[in-house]
Amino acid sequence: MQPAFLPLHSRVVGLFLCACASLAPAAPAAPATTASFVATLRPFLAEHCVKCHGPEKQKGDARLDALTGDLAKDRELLTLVRDQLRDGLMPPKKEKQPDAALARRVVATLSHALPKPQTAEQFASDQLPNKGNLIPHDLLFGQPAGEVTPPAARLWRLNSDSYLGLVSSVARGRMDSLVKPFTLIPERGLKDYAALYSMDEPTTEILLRNAATIVERQSAHDFKDGKLIGKNDTIREFVALMDPAKPPTPEQVAAVVKQQFTLAIGRVPGAEEVARYQAFYETCARDGDRPAAVRTVLQAVLLRADAVFRSELGGVADGKGRRMLAPGELAVALSLALGNKRLEPLTAAAAKGELVTKEQIAARLQAILDTPDKRLDTSRLLAFFQQYFEYHRAPEIFKEERFPFAEKASEFALRRGNWPKGDLTLVGSIHHAANLVADTDRLVQRILAEDKDVLRQLLTTDITFVNLRFKEDKQTRQPVPVPASELNPNNHRGIVGPHYVYGFAAWPAAQPVKAPADQPRLGVLMQPAWLVAHSTNFENDPVRRGRWIRERLLGQTVPDLPIGVVAQVPDEPHRAFRDRLQVTREAKCWKCHQWMDELGLPFEQFTHYGVFQKAELVVDAEATAKHLDKNGKPLGKVFTTTKLNTTGEVAHTDDPQLDGPVKDAYELVRRLADSTRVRQVFVRHVFRYFMGRNESLADARSLQEADRAYVASGGSFKALVVALLTSDSFLYRSSPTTTAQSK
Amino acid sequence: MRTNPLQFRPEFTRRDALKGLTLGAGATLLSRFLAQLAAHAAGSPAAIRHRVVIVMQSNGLRPSFITPVGHKRKDDGKGGSTAREVVEIPLADQQLPAALEPLTPFKDRLALIQGLSGRVALGDHSGNHGALGCYSPSKVLGQTIDSALADALPAVFPHVLLGLAGDTGSEAMNYAHSAVAANKPLPTLCSPDLAFRSLFGSVDGGGKGPFDRQTHLLEFMADDVKRARTALAPEERLKLDRYVEAFESLHQRQAQIAAMQEVIKRNAPQLGEKRTTTTSSLILEAQFEIATAALIAGLTNVVTLTSGSGGQRFGKYPELGAQDLHGLGHGGSIAGKTNEESFIVLHQLHTRLIASLARKLATIPEGNGTMLDHTTILFLSDSGDGHHPQLRTWPMVLLGNLGDRLKTGGRYLEFPGYGLANHRTIGSLYNTLLHAAGKPRDKFGFDDIALKDVKQGVPLPELLA
Repeated sequence: MQPAFLPLHSRVVGLFLCACASLAPAAPAAPATTASFVATLRPFLAEHCVKCHGPEKQKGDARLDALTGDLAKDRELLTLVRDQLRDGLMPPKKEKQPDAALARRVVATLSHALPKPQTAEQFASDQLPNKGNLIPHDLLFGQPAGEVTPPAARLWRLNSDSYLGLVSSVARGRMDSLVKPFTLIPERGLKDYAALYSMDEPTTEILLRNAATIVERQSAHDFKDGKLIGKNDTIREFVALMDPAKPPTPEQVAAVVKQQFTLAIGRVPGAEEVARYQAFYETCARDGDRPAAVRTVLQAVLLRADAVFRSELGGVADGKGRRMLAPGELAVALSLALGNKRLEPLTAAAAKGELVTKEQIAARLQAILDTPDKRLDTSRLLAFFQQYFEYHRAPEIFKEERFPFAEKASEFALRRGNWPKGDLTLVGSIHHAANLVADTDRLVQRILAEDKDVLRQLLTTDITFVNLRFKEDKQTRQPVPVPASELNPNNHRGIVGPHYVYGFAAWPAAQPVKAPADQPRLGVLMQPAWLVAHSTNFENDPVRRGRWIRERLLGQTVPDLPIGVVAQVPDEPHRAFRDRLQVTREAKCWKCHQWMDELGLPFEQFTHYGVFQKAELVVDAEATAKHLDKNGKPLGKVFTTTKLNTTGEVAHTDDPQLDGPVKDAYELVRRLADSTRVRQVFVRHVFRYFMGRNESLADARSLQEADRAYVASGGSFKALVVALLTSDSFLYRSSPTTTAQSK
Repeated sequence: MRTNPLQFRPEFTRRDALKGLTLGAGATLLSRFLAQLAAHAAGSPAAIRHRVVIVMQSNGLRPSFITPVGHKRKDDGKGGSTAREVVEIPLADQQLPAALEPLTPFKDRLALIQGLSGRVALGDHSGNHGALGCYSPSKVLGQTIDSALADALPAVFPHVLLGLAGDTGSEAMNYAHSAVAANKPLPTLCSPDLAFRSLFGSVDGGGKGPFDRQTHLLEFMADDVKRARTALAPEERLKLDRYVEAFESLHQRQAQIAAMQEVIKRNAPQLGEKRTTTTSSLILEAQFEIATAALIAGLTNVVTLTSGSGGQRFGKYPELGAQDLHGLGHGGSIAGKTNEESFIVLHQLHTRLIASLARKLATIPEGNGTMLDHTTILFLSDSGDGHHPQLRTWPMVLLGNLGDRLKTGGRYLEFPGYGLANHRTIGSLYNTLLHAAGKPRDKFGFDDIALKDVKQGVPLPELLA
């Protein structure tokens, strides 16, 4: 097969990390001029790279013999070279390896000499969430870390939830007809990174209209008997300026501008800012409609950059040139780390100057986490687990709503997929993906509430919730458990409710509950929601399951499916899925699939609906061929079972604690839960979620301290979050440029 | 398997398409534009504009749904044709298939095109950006054809993208189908209210006072956001630059729109309750009306109208009994109808709207004919030939000859099947449109590497006038 064309940035094949385990961060080399640098680089490339990426072969469409000598022009290609070299991906193992010290020097020099990203796209592609694992784990956790070098001052665009959350205090909670302005990337995994988002024109148009709507509400009024009367939920001072007969004084305009600043941005504007808004008011009022001019000025405040982006610029620099987030910035950053609104205790503490030391911050955070009140939207914490585990995507995988029991499959096929009518013995169950997700949400929340050994519990707990919701008992006013989905026996003859999926013959009212002993389940990866989310419409998806484990628990990366390759498992329903997946063992496929398949195959223990199975159901080809009516017309498929093989293997981690075969999914998840590496990879993901960026080598200490806090607290997620939110990586920014002024 | 990394920032997009329009070129453009308006009013041939409308429906368009009634295709069993040469049948004596029945009045302007493959965009129920870009559905790999046509046919709004969201009501926009370049998807406005305000908001009540204040606000905000840049490193400034550019671009457009107030007012669609409806078919209807009005008012020359948000997000039409479009793809049906009839109901919803758009354009004189004479409308599905597509053939319908630049005069065309020597791909059709629009390329789209000895992405002489 011809090599598929791949754009350069997708060719960052981030694997085989072991080779760079010993690669310590090198001291930056002296800056090199473009030409001299390329001159020294060329021999290295000629010796190690050009054989496969030169005039004769252009593997992966990359050619390294024809550098222009202009680093800006060659940036993309050389970034790729640096990453591959740094991560030990190239040259391939079978080829001659460069001297380690030389390779380190090339990496360091390239890192130093390559021009900074010039376009938004370059900038974003360097910082995508899926690039996080490219930093070898050992470089972060393998040795005691030095002081954190804080990241640069930055802006982080609000997401739609935090935008609406912040706006709700401005709009006095009246949110109807406000449009969600922001969209997040649709891909799997973490989504809300500061580097990913800016404003485009349609987004700006929505913000403009929302601002108009909000100000309209803030200042809504009637005239009764010539008197101005504000409507409900309006702001008195704003309404007062809506009388066309009474032109506002400059002081009044300044006052409402300040008030709007406080509401929308959480700070009082400086005198110069106020003066600009006053001047803007005069411009708008030229045509005589002063109330409208006031409203336009109030809209402008809502559209300010600091009203739609989180500012993380930092305050005054300390002796080391590090700037801790200013108190106002910090209050917002912490509030939005935990929820979608400004949290009053944090805002108040910031105002009083009590949000300065790490101890003060930790104490406030701990208090908030220990006594979540109504203002704390815990969905922000839950959202991490949804984006991390991705079980919440189960409803996106279309499946037939009713599915037959295995032992009824032949009967069902005979009826050509039509469910039998009339009275019958039970024939199948029902798939309600949203209920499954709700159950797993509940399980995660339960584990978070207990807050002990959280990751191990998430991976190995033997309890589960089953098709559960709560209803308030009218008399006792207490929530009582009820089935989330009750089937009307008239409409669902022969169908069992969703509790069947978990292995229960009848819906268990006492919950959480252990799965039936003959159909055990451990942890989130054996929750039907996770299994369904990592399945296809009609089959299991061991590849996706394995990839998830490789990336999210082992902290390694898998290359993307090459473009032009249509990944299809042969349509051979008489063979077990595992056997059909053997197509990937072909060398060209196995190169990547060796990182996924063996980790996902143990979950063949369950069907693609998430039902426990003791044997896999396949079509009996021979019996089907003979299953004919008297005219020789086929009567339908006949099913049989084949022996279930749930073995798998953890490999390529270079961690003796992890590597080795497993006999089933239970052994696999237990081994993963016992692993130090897995725990630390989990910490890395939590870090990314709360920092809104990938970790860098400069964050090693923050990560190590967070991991230690987690271990010392007996696996408390709260302790982990507090440690991360009080880490230097979260609290500090470096000065952007020497000339830039802090605000 | 769609497991690609996150390789774009959705918000960093449309501005680039406008850059040429707004940076520096503003004044010249405006005067050129005013001259054009004047010429238009005078009925001068210089005023003729060419327009392309792309209508893309979710959930597949089966080959049989664009095959004239009674015609038997030489089916190779996989959706392709075994014919070795292009088969052509004049439509004049043919009856259009039920899905296209609403287009019957325009039969002499149609080209029904069968047999172009698009396997390169084969994916999970939708080609996503690859459907209009002719590449893999898992990434945004390049400019899509609608955006390329917008470059060729500039206007105040170079490219209007309206649609029905996959998840009706909760999505104001999606970034599912079009892109201005690699990693730069374009937003489709999924709310008629948003679309109306964006295109016709300037005449939506108020008058000069509100319009001027809005202009002042945009100007002030561009300046205000610029001030916030100073404390930032260059790469962080980029984020604010985009925001500044958005305000500047909107401000620039205010000036152009100010010059067009009369024509905009005259053509603003009367949507009534449809503007804020949550009923899918009415949303689509409203979006078509807005698109039609925007074309007639001269606000734009290129419109993309889509239903669904790519992937498995097909949208749904409870009001028509079509709650579950995925189920429909798996043999389900609208109550009282067969599966095939159910699909036809949804196709007719789209083709009726296309017919009414065409009818409206045909009533507006332009040059020696009507606006429809200078327009072409492409109808297809982002999922090609079915719910689970094979894409060995990607049924396409063209209505209108783009000012005699396309040979669409009532023809049914069947290209040789997948893998045969004279086989062609969807990239070829797209490049044909680019040639017709005056911005030819040597080739369009990515190659299907399984197709050897087949010219890919080159224009189709069979269609080019």
